[in-house]
Amino acid sequence: MTLGGAGCAGDDGATTGAGSAPGSSTGTSAASTATDQNDRPEPPTADSRLHLDFEIGTLEENIVSGGVRKDGIPAIDDPTFADTPPDGLAADDPVFGLVRDGEVKAYPQYILVHHEIVNDTIAGDAVAVTYCPLTGTAQGFERGPVEFGVSGRLVNSNLTMYDRGTDSWWPQMLATAITGPLTGESLQEFRVTWTTWDRWSRTYPETRILTEDTGFQRRYGVDPYGQYNEKRGYYSSTRTLFEPLHDDSRAHPKAVVIGTRTETGALAFDKETLLRQRVLTGRIDDTLYVAVADTALETGYVYANPESLSVTASDDGYTIDGTAYDADSLPLDRTLSFDAMWFAWAGFYPESAYVN
Amino acid sequence: MSTDNPTDRATVAASIQRLFRNTVVAVSGALSRRDGQVGLAVSGLTYFLLYLAGLRHLGLGPAGYEVSVVSNPLTRAFRQVGPFQWEPIALVVVGPVELLVAPLNMLLGAVLALLVGLNLAVSVVAWRGPAACRLGPGAGAVSGLPGLLSGFACCGPTILLAVGVQASAGLLSLFQWLLPLTIVALFGTLLWVGSRVETA
Repeated sequence: MTLGGAGCAGDDGATTGAGSAPGSSTGTSAASTATDQNDRPEPPTADSRLHLDFEIGTLEENIVSGGVRKDGIPAIDDPTFADTPPDGLAADDPVFGLVRDGEVKAYPQYILVHHEIVNDTIAGDAVAVTYCPLTGTAQGFERGPVEFGVSGRLVNSNLTMYDRGTDSWWPQMLATAITGPLTGESLQEFRVTWTTWDRWSRTYPETRILTEDTGFQRRYGVDPYGQYNEKRGYYSSTRTLFEPLHDDSRAHPKAVVIGTRTETGALAFDKETLLRQRVLTGRIDDTLYVAVADTALETGYVYANPESLSVTASDDGYTIDGTAYDADSLPLDRTLSFDAMWFAWAGFYPESAYVN
Repeated sequence: MSTDNPTDRATVAASIQRLFRNTVVAVSGALSRRDGQVGLAVSGLTYFLLYLAGLRHLGLGPAGYEVSVVSNPLTRAFRQVGPFQWEPIALVVVGPVELLVAPLNMLLGAVLALLVGLNLAVSVVAWRGPAACRLGPGAGAVSGLPGLLSGFACCGPTILLAVGVQASAGLLSLFQWLLPLTIVALFGTLLWVGSRVETA
């Protein structure tokens, strides 16, 4: 069921899942409307479903246990933030950044690797900031009146969230329920930026940062999978923990791509190449898409470019028709994009083009 | 079956009773000797520490001194996070050593360590004694191995990466049985070792 009234995320480059109206309200208004006839709370969903390369039944058949119970990896439901970084965070450590209506937050990877989901509120909106260590994906979702939890199951190595209202299961990368009452629905998403603490705090000095005061005791200095600051372990190995839905040798399994998917298809840009060349183009069906690099944050943004406008990198940013724009504000329709390990992207979207 | 016969059943029961009695005597005898006591202490403590390290509850981290406890420790202590794994309720940092305190896991680890220690104590005594047991002292330690591996089932069985094996539903199910298997194996080897020690 698709519920109206829950719009997209403000001015932080958010998209809303396919089809929702830009600028419409979100958060508390969504919360008040996102209930069904039985007053069972539901997360707000998008007006139309995101593209899937697999049938939902196939995805459901490929749900596997991750070795922990439901909520065995506990989401942070009562996050606390500080103005200064925790002692355990180095300048080059990865953080996941979020900006909405002037409020800026950073979520350190080294904390989220132990929790995977933060049920948070930003600018008055109820959101879930999520991270899957095995697929290297950090994504944000509107959550309305419900919280998300970690189901303990995986699909294609990807975190499968459940919503605590309907108990529908949502593989994070797909943002689409594959079991439960909301099967086939897509969540409303927003942009979460994977960058380093140094880059994020220089770009947004006013940022607040998630603390280790999560309500749980963990050895936060220990990443069970490896480390990012000098990539090691799982994060650099060619091995995957679980067999991907689809094997694709076009790139190193752990190469990072910036992927985008719409209602009709998916497209991936090699991140390293994008940061080096600054502009890359690709297609979903017949529509041209352009990816541009944000060198300050070392990230990229993807825009639909159906008119095939010329986008060129310049000292001032990016030039279109003689006017310079910042990477995050080209006069084109931006699509939601996020970092992912190649094997995971290709596993979910084997028909995706790969631009490098 | 032969045990349908009351006489046979009585014989089997007597054999089991003798096996247990023999093991108790063997354990008592081993623990009365210094080498047995050392075997129990060293192997039990080593296993206990390895078990906690396998769970990633014990290890090295940034140096410091800290004791922090969750706000609702009694509730949290019984919150199961995985097969035979419970939620830590406290973090203790002493110098570079970090210890997550999950009481039920520490209790379970202590029971396993005790069983491993008793196995080793009896084996060592039997091995060094005049009535040499053909079972080497390593048998108890081997029996305890699955228990050590069970800790790695948490958070994705990353130990599989190290050995280059991809996880599967069957393998993950096996991980869930490692700990019960360990307990059965440790009791089994203890009875076996005990039965082979000359207690007369």
